[in-house]
Amino acid sequence: MSEALLTSQPPGTDTAVPGASGARQFWRRLRTQRAALVAAAVVALLVLVALAAPLLTAIEGQDPTTYHPSLVDSARGGVPIGSFGGVSAEHWLGVEPQTGRDLFARLVYGARVSLGVALAATVVQLLLGVVIGVAAGLGNRWVDLLLTRIADIFVAMPLMVVALALLAVVPTSFPRPVLVALVVGLVSGWATLAKMVRAQTLTLKELDYVAAARLSGWSTVRIARRELLPGLAAPVITFAAILVPSNITVEAALSFLGVGVKPPTPSWGQMLTSADVWYQAAPQYLLLPAGALFVTVLAFTVLGDGVRTALDPRAASRLRIGTGRGREAKPETKGETSRKARRETKGVAS
Amino acid sequence: MRQPSVIARRVAAASVSLVVAAGAAACGPEDNDANGAGGDSTPHKGGTLTVLNANPQQDFDPARLYTSGGGNVPSLVFRTLTTRNRENGEAGAKVVPDLATDTGRPNKDATVWTYTLKEGLKYEDGTPITSADIKYGIERSFAPELSGGAPYLRDWLVGGADYEGPYKDRGDKGGLDSIETPDARTIVFHLAKPEGEFPYLATQTQFAPVPKDKDTGTKYEEHPISSGPYKVVRNENDGERLVLERNTYWSASTDAERKAYPDKIDVRSGLDSSVINQRLSASQGADAAAVTTDTNLGPAELAKVTGDKELASRVGTGHFGYTNYIAFNPTIKPFDNVKVRQAIAYAIDRSSVINAAGGSALAEPATTFLPNQKSFGHTPYDHFPAGESGNAAKARELLKEAGHANGLTVTLTHSNAKDFETSPEIATAIQDALKKAGITVRLQGLEENDYSDKIHNVKTEPGFFLAHWGADWPSGGPFLVPIFDGRQIVKDGANFNTGLLDDKSVNAEIDAINKLTDLDAAAKRWGALDKKIGEQALTVPLFHPVYKRLYGKDVKNVVISDWTGVLDISQVAVK
Repeated sequence: MSEALLTSQPPGTDTAVPGASGARQFWRRLRTQRAALVAAAVVALLVLVALAAPLLTAIEGQDPTTYHPSLVDSARGGVPIGSFGGVSAEHWLGVEPQTGRDLFARLVYGARVSLGVALAATVVQLLLGVVIGVAAGLGNRWVDLLLTRIADIFVAMPLMVVALALLAVVPTSFPRPVLVALVVGLVSGWATLAKMVRAQTLTLKELDYVAAARLSGWSTVRIARRELLPGLAAPVITFAAILVPSNITVEAALSFLGVGVKPPTPSWGQMLTSADVWYQAAPQYLLLPAGALFVTVLAFTVLGDGVRTALDPRAASRLRIGTGRGREAKPETKGETSRKARRETKGVAS
Repeated sequence: MRQPSVIARRVAAASVSLVVAAGAAACGPEDNDANGAGGDSTPHKGGTLTVLNANPQQDFDPARLYTSGGGNVPSLVFRTLTTRNRENGEAGAKVVPDLATDTGRPNKDATVWTYTLKEGLKYEDGTPITSADIKYGIERSFAPELSGGAPYLRDWLVGGADYEGPYKDRGDKGGLDSIETPDARTIVFHLAKPEGEFPYLATQTQFAPVPKDKDTGTKYEEHPISSGPYKVVRNENDGERLVLERNTYWSASTDAERKAYPDKIDVRSGLDSSVINQRLSASQGADAAAVTTDTNLGPAELAKVTGDKELASRVGTGHFGYTNYIAFNPTIKPFDNVKVRQAIAYAIDRSSVINAAGGSALAEPATTFLPNQKSFGHTPYDHFPAGESGNAAKARELLKEAGHANGLTVTLTHSNAKDFETSPEIATAIQDALKKAGITVRLQGLEENDYSDKIHNVKTEPGFFLAHWGADWPSGGPFLVPIFDGRQIVKDGANFNTGLLDDKSVNAEIDAINKLTDLDAAAKRWGALDKKIGEQALTVPLFHPVYKRLYGKDVKNVVISDWTGVLDISQVAVK
């Protein structure tokens, strides 16, 4: 999958160098995409809900772990009493079958785990990907070879299998959400990013302003920080926007398989696990975490797509905004592409 | 070393647990009130009964099956010296004669047991069944290549410990000297110590006759020679698909227990448990005449079934001698302090534990270690009354006395199996209840095999964990002895005395009860012993499971005994 992400990377992005004016341009382009704006609003709302989980449950007057045996019908396998899974003024989304735990509280606390783990894993992936990619791009032949091979190995690694194995070996005393974030971050995503960053670094390295910096005796670290990173920002941000939803689904899958966060900490994946058998008797129990996951992944994906479009000059020109040149710009864009293609060939050869 | 006699239920966890898969036979439901579906409820002969099962009938060899397979497929093919009484409920927990004329005649101290075979017993090929065949069947079960059976024969028979089966001693004459066959209808067993419960042991499939000239060793399981009402005509994929047809040499006049109504039994296994329940509830085509002997209704399925009158009328209820409990290791702090153990016992909220186990229809609250059935000698007691939802105040008081006035943090070990027994659902319910008593519980969930290895090893046994125990037969002996007999503590192997109790008076009482041949008198003393051991709070009994099993529309004469709670397919009719 990650390979597909890499190749789908529009070639135009690698020359976008958003400075202060670039950022403004970016926002302008993003704003014109209505779907992306709605997605951004949904993401903001989800983050807000996750952060405010204790507050929200306090308003409801519940918490995610207290059992309410009296709210489920014990003689009928513990199905919630009342319509729609026991929805009431006290329990806004009903209660969990068998335990009577409040579903609203579990859902909003579950958002903390799902989003927190996914975002933390993304940070790990970005750090690793950028550092290793830049190091490979700027390092000598051997460093490059070594790092590229390591990245290749990680690209080829079957994520779920390795994650399952790692999560099963680490002692249970290790804080679980941190562990899940680390495992997801370390095993998946970063290698593809690193390969992309390396290719981009090789291209940028040949540009005049970088050469000038080198000639004036700047250190490699300083060149990387001052000259390369700004040029890498656009593709990396785009990549991150795609990593987040993928990480959310991976966390859910791991929790679903029983190696994610430990009970009684709720997570959406874990809720899905215990809910799957209840799809006939208490459908809302399954629909709530499934719906939450669906909305979250969709919102992040649409937002990621919007970000990518806004950072891509060619896509922006299709939107006929941002470049300020409109249709006439087309031939020039083509020319730019071919120039860039030449540079890339050079970059690889060097 | 003993195996935990039983077997995961509901989910097919059985196949991966340390329990021999063949033992999966022993799980099940049972029924006291359901008497077949509407219309003409009189059972008639004929038709084909379909059996939809999760676990294939692997090891279809009488030497290798862990228990007698009670109401299950094996009992249609294997007759044994004694068998369980094929009746609903409590009456079904009695031993009755099968091949033998009675349940056994002991000598004075129950070390010698004599059986006489009925007359006119025949195999599926018409040859007569002799006492030598029963002796040979038992000897086979000692062969290492036919392992899987319960350890009792090896423990009980004189010379059993060193015997290695008939394939090794073929050159010698006698086989096991402790089994005598003075004539073709008499068989005598010599035991190393008094065992009043020998009639129960004689229900196990190791007591089925095997004709020596037809024994094909490890291949015998493909086509075991039938002594029962049906014979195997097809056995595909190691017991995944079995077709049984009538054994014309079987005579109802020698078999008071098996009704054998259908002409044909078609067993299809390897099915997912949810698929089995879905097919039984739809009850279409051949599934209308279908039952399952190894799949129960889970909580969610029960919720759906109870919402539908037609489906609800097709549910059998079974009880099986089985207890789910909290176990303590008293060598680990703070569980060395009896007050801490008592505090936890007081704090348990059994209503939430029972809901986590599937609700009041699938679990009954337990305050005794022995199952709540008469045959076990169940003597009610509740030494640390927690009421329905726990007595947090009393628990706090005890913790204060134990020096933990500011609360306590402990780790509860459980398995990650999805079995509603030792699973996370039960553990979190306990965690929530203990919180009210000021006890913070950290959960340690282990992968199933890892969990089973850890809790049954004295070196790795955790201090506070979820456990379960089931009986090999409905009596206090196999229930209490492996768990509380000090001489059963195994230092370097699988140990089931997890409380590491080695109390001289308990050991002496166990020996005394084993001498009794009056099973009712023995049951009373097992009950009293259980009550006495309970005072030490080495375990906190949580619940006894109840099994709910769905059957097809055309199924009649549903009988579920308390022995294993299995829907007895030797009684089922489909016409």
